[in-house]
Amino acid sequence: MIGKRVAYYPGCSLEGASRAYDVSTRIVVKELGLELDYLEDYNCCGAMETKNVSFMGTLLLNARNMSLARQQGHKAIVAPCNGCSFSLQRAEYFLETQDGLLDKVNELLKEGGVEPLDEIPQTYHLLEWLYTEAGPEKVKERTKRPLKGLKVANYYGCLYTRPHFYSRTYSHKGGEDERARPRRRITADDDEHPFYMNALLEAAGAQSVDFEPMHTQCCGGPHSLSDEEVSERFVKMILQTAKKNGAHIIATECPLCHASLEMYRYRLILKGEKDVDVPAAYFTQLLGIAFGYSASDVKLQDNLSDPLPVLRSLGLA
Amino acid sequence: MAIHERSLVEEDRILRKEKLVVDGIDVSGDWNLIILPRVIEDYDTSFLDEVLKEPEGKTILQCYQCSYCTASCPVHNYWDERYNPRHFIHLARLGLLDELQKRADVMWRCVSCHKCTHRCPKGVLVEEVLKAILRVMARRGLIEEYPSKKFDKFFLDTVVEYGRIEDGELLFGWLEKQGYKIVKDPILRKPIPFLGGTPKWLKDMVKKPIKSMNISFLMLNAKHMLFHPRTKNWNRFRQVLRKVIKEEAK
Ligand code: SF4
Ligand code: SF4
Repeated sequence: MIGKRVAYYPGCSLEGASRAYDVSTRIVVKELGLELDYLEDYNCCGAMETKNVSFMGTLLLNARNMSLARQQGHKAIVAPCNGCSFSLQRAEYFLETQDGLLDKVNELLKEGGVEPLDEIPQTYHLLEWLYTEAGPEKVKERTKRPLKGLKVANYYGCLYTRPHFYSRTYSHKGGEDERARPRRRITADDDEHPFYMNALLEAAGAQSVDFEPMHTQCCGGPHSLSDEEVSERFVKMILQTAKKNGAHIIATECPLCHASLEMYRYRLILKGEKDVDVPAAYFTQLLGIAFGYSASDVKLQDNLSDPLPVLRSLGLA
Repeated sequence: MAIHERSLVEEDRILRKEKLVVDGIDVSGDWNLIILPRVIEDYDTSFLDEVLKEPEGKTILQCYQCSYCTASCPVHNYWDERYNPRHFIHLARLGLLDELQKRADVMWRCVSCHKCTHRCPKGVLVEEVLKAILRVMARRGLIEEYPSKKFDKFFLDTVVEYGRIEDGELLFGWLEKQGYKIVKDPILRKPIPFLGGTPKWLKDMVKKPIKSMNISFLMLNAKHMLFHPRTKNWNRFRQVLRKVIKEEAK
């Protein structure tokens, strides 16, 4: 439905501090018989920050990446980061719903030496793509070392399912503007109760613990550096709920959420807060382990919250 | 008696009397609480017009004040009740700028989680509208520099310059802007993470890959801090970006 071979927009984080996510994603994708085509010379999507300063600038940043995808012959882009998929989908939304905007953007692209857009490619989060194109059965088939006994809190963060205008997780009939009406994409996860990550990890033998409503509670996101007080409180709620519900590990699917959880985990422990020590791992790292790869293959040693001891204690690493 | 949306009423407008007689009738007890009325005579809609001119601000007109956004908002629920998206939209529409200004200390705290936008039954792009309101307030000098605005600007400048961002630079650059004393090497002027005034938690965090001898991880991140990752075909595009951003700032 989306395609077995898609354009891969890793985003800045995955080339640096979050390389574990990139490496494990590539492993999982290969194992599941899918293919990622790396977007050459892409640029930052602007995350959640640039849009607050410049609407057109942010649109252009994303249009350039879309154009690169078209040049490489793709109609679908896959991004493993909530922020990146949000930014590309947001650009998609505005380009599709505002009159004359596409023409204006194309002109500016040309001026900047970038091929104009002949059509607007659609962006999917990695999780949505893996679930749709491979799904739990395929994961089960590939699992050589089931994640037996591992209790996981599946953390989706905000922008994977929200807002529906961009992520297309919901539809309703209201609204004056026909084109701007929310439309659910058939491949999309449930908007308030996402389950794709639960399903994939359960297929790999893990056990999901109850985690609502913290599964989509914000980690502080774009304010994780600029508003430490609020971010710290949010992360504390997330970590403590995971602990209370018996999770060994928090599975993440966004490098920013992941970094925010790990960073504030250090700070909360230092402050002497209770029950904040659940470590985090990317869901692709856990799938990689289940597929028989070693902890160092999926770069578990990179995780600053150190999930190795708990995996070792269950005989998984 | 409880006051509905208590955070919207100023202390000095609430009167509580031990004994109260109105028109000869003793209404002490349950009816002893009065909220003094407020009279607003002139509405200034020029503020709303400006919000409507922002590309993300248009949907503000669709709001019918149901407050689903506020009920969903984690900043409202877990941080400060005075952060109230529905109310901000209401004030912006009426042009009650002094009321907006009174809330300037919390208004910037939106974490962009988009619960509001997602759940709004009227299709208001709430998060984006709130950002548009903030932008117009800043343009009119109604709100002082706030942390997230500084960070957004810092982020955008990096993207425009290099095409890519780098986590280490973002983190240490930001800490330095906050007044932390960051020690830099004398030649390349790059931060040395585990020296100087780097906060303790961060020193602990940086030590983890060092202690576990995660050499390739350290090398990769050191390389990125020394040689900022760049988009190659960027010069011409950067010029266009700069032009567009400058035009918008007018
Ligand atoms: S949910 Fe929508 S309509 Fe309701 S108050 Fe908020 S913005 Fe207005
Ligand atoms: S996006 Fe901002 S205003 Fe909306 S619910 Fe989240 S924190 Fe509240």
